[in-house]
Amino acid sequence: MTRLGMVIDLEKCVGCRACMVACKVENNTPESAFWMYVFRLEDGEYPESRVSFLPRPCQHCDNAPCVKVCPVGARYTRDHGIVVTDWDRCIGCRYCEVACPYGVNYFNYKKPKELQYLNWENPDVEVHSQGEVPPYKNPVLAGKFGPEQRKVAGGGHTKGVMEKCTFCVHRVDSGLDPACVVNCPVGALIFGDLEDPESPASRAIADKPAYRLLEERDTRPKVRYIGAPVSSTAREIERPKVRN
Amino acid sequence: MATSTQTQSPLLPYGVGRFGAGWGVVFLLFLVLLAVGLYGYSRQLIEGEGVTGLRDVGTMGGAPWGLYIAFELWFVGIGFGAMMLVAAARLAHIDLLKPLVRTMCVIALATLFIGGWSIIVDLGQPVRAVVNIIKYARPMSPFFGTFTIGLVAAFAATLVYLFLDGRRDAAILARRPSRWSWLHRLAASGYTDTEVEKHRRRRSSALLAGALLVVAIVAASTSGFVFGIQQGRPGWFGALQAPGFVVLAMLTGTAATVIVAASLRSGLGEKEALGSRVFTLLNTVMLVASLVYIYFIVVEIITSSYSSSLADQRVTDALLTGEYAWMFWLSAALFIVGAALSIFRATASRSSIWLVVVAAIAIIIGALLKRYLLVVPPLTTGRLLPYADGSYSPTWVEYAVVGGLISLGVLFFMIFMKLFPILGLNDREENV
Repeated sequence: MTRLGMVIDLEKCVGCRACMVACKVENNTPESAFWMYVFRLEDGEYPESRVSFLPRPCQHCDNAPCVKVCPVGARYTRDHGIVVTDWDRCIGCRYCEVACPYGVNYFNYKKPKELQYLNWENPDVEVHSQGEVPPYKNPVLAGKFGPEQRKVAGGGHTKGVMEKCTFCVHRVDSGLDPACVVNCPVGALIFGDLEDPESPASRAIADKPAYRLLEERDTRPKVRYIGAPVSSTAREIERPKVRN
Repeated sequence: MATSTQTQSPLLPYGVGRFGAGWGVVFLLFLVLLAVGLYGYSRQLIEGEGVTGLRDVGTMGGAPWGLYIAFELWFVGIGFGAMMLVAAARLAHIDLLKPLVRTMCVIALATLFIGGWSIIVDLGQPVRAVVNIIKYARPMSPFFGTFTIGLVAAFAATLVYLFLDGRRDAAILARRPSRWSWLHRLAASGYTDTEVEKHRRRRSSALLAGALLVVAIVAASTSGFVFGIQQGRPGWFGALQAPGFVVLAMLTGTAATVIVAASLRSGLGEKEALGSRVFTLLNTVMLVASLVYIYFIVVEIITSSYSSSLADQRVTDALLTGEYAWMFWLSAALFIVGAALSIFRATASRSSIWLVVVAAIAIIIGALLKRYLLVVPPLTTGRLLPYADGSYSPTWVEYAVVGGLISLGVLFFMIFMKLFPILGLNDREENV
């Protein structure tokens, strides 16, 4: 049975955050929401310091705590293992968010219009966008997906519902890789079927030791990491506190 | 004898049907607070929860649960505790608490009602929630349990108990001419004080009291499980959460009963029905429950101090010496002061009611702080990946909404007091 997952090669990652930008563009994610986030970390003190990078998409856990606690089944695991949120069913209790140890959930605290980087009602923006629909009205992301026919892609970022990385479910269902994977300039992100030994993801971890984040929590993520694990004393270089 | 004087009086007992100026002023004050809360909530509904201080954990550095959930736990805890007292009074035949059974039922109903609303106001999609919780119910989620067992079942069970327990008193009132006699007739629903009916009433109330006890314990535990089964959040996972919730419910339910009973004793001049012995009994319950709860806090802190998890340690440090230390130690001090006063009251030669009331106030405020400390610090400081520490400050909208919810509870209580006697009538009172 297919189990879609991602392998992240930390030895290749250069911390350029192209994946973060690609995710934002692909999914029109609101301000302050980073479905894909890349930690830029520093450990030790200069001149003995070491810089490392840690891309953090949703971990799409096999034993997903967010799925367990959802009171209405809005958060669920699809047949191919992708953990998604049916934003049309979500009641906005944020229990999935507090249950997730990885901090990957983003709640829409405001109206979609107010969460965009651009004011799409500004006449100047209208001139330059040449009649493009505003991202929060993107019909592709608002559709129903999969055999279950549920609204699980980015959608219109409706106020009061939870969202997170979908592994670009709208692309995956069309046979494409997620946007972050396609846009990584160094091939540090590899996507594929973890059950298929011939898939790029399986081949990437076939002869290298791979690990998962917070393995002791037994969430069994489908995101595997290659390379030196991040030190428990590492700290963020920028320490962003982005709030909308 | 106060009660017998009331039966001879043409007036209904305990101020039922009499809307005085003082009552009106207080009612209006809480009505204004409710209106402010409604305005705050309307802003939240229109603008989204961006008008609150709530934000996402992780990169946003916030807390997705805050004041609403802390107050929800506090409210429903009081309700479950009051339910436990009602059940204990009936099952253990504690005659001293008999006059207070209705008061405790109304406390439970009011707090469960506003506890339910506290959850509703916290939701991003409140209207959708009412439908989806039923349509797509997932009983394995503790949140579902909180909604169903915790609120609906507890509320329904208490309401039925209130109705069954109050039929005789309603029948007594229905015989007296008043503009509310139709309501009392309705509440009496054909009650006749025959031996058969009395027997039925005794049996049904005993059965229902058993159910109340079970529902209250299960519901309080379910609230504990919302946190206790979460491995993803440092500071929450543990087998002590559910029993801790049950004990704190018992404690706060008793403390709330003490405060309300003292107010009724003073306001209604009911020095006989609410005599010193009633407060002595409630003080004993508070004393035992507060000592057990303090023990739970100590065990919790010692255990988490030895945790191998850095994240767990970070939450404990934030509580003991960090950002939340002032609140933690204030909360601990209030519990200790409450317990100390209860011990002093229990051993003193002169029995002061106000000593019990001060202990109850200390305990109930300490419990509120404890609820806040349970919800917020693990969200802002309990990070497992290398995110920066977060912060949470409630906005005026949250304070206004919480104030509105409290007002709603108080108004509910005040209205009930004017429609039905808030204290049980004496059993020896006239035959029906």
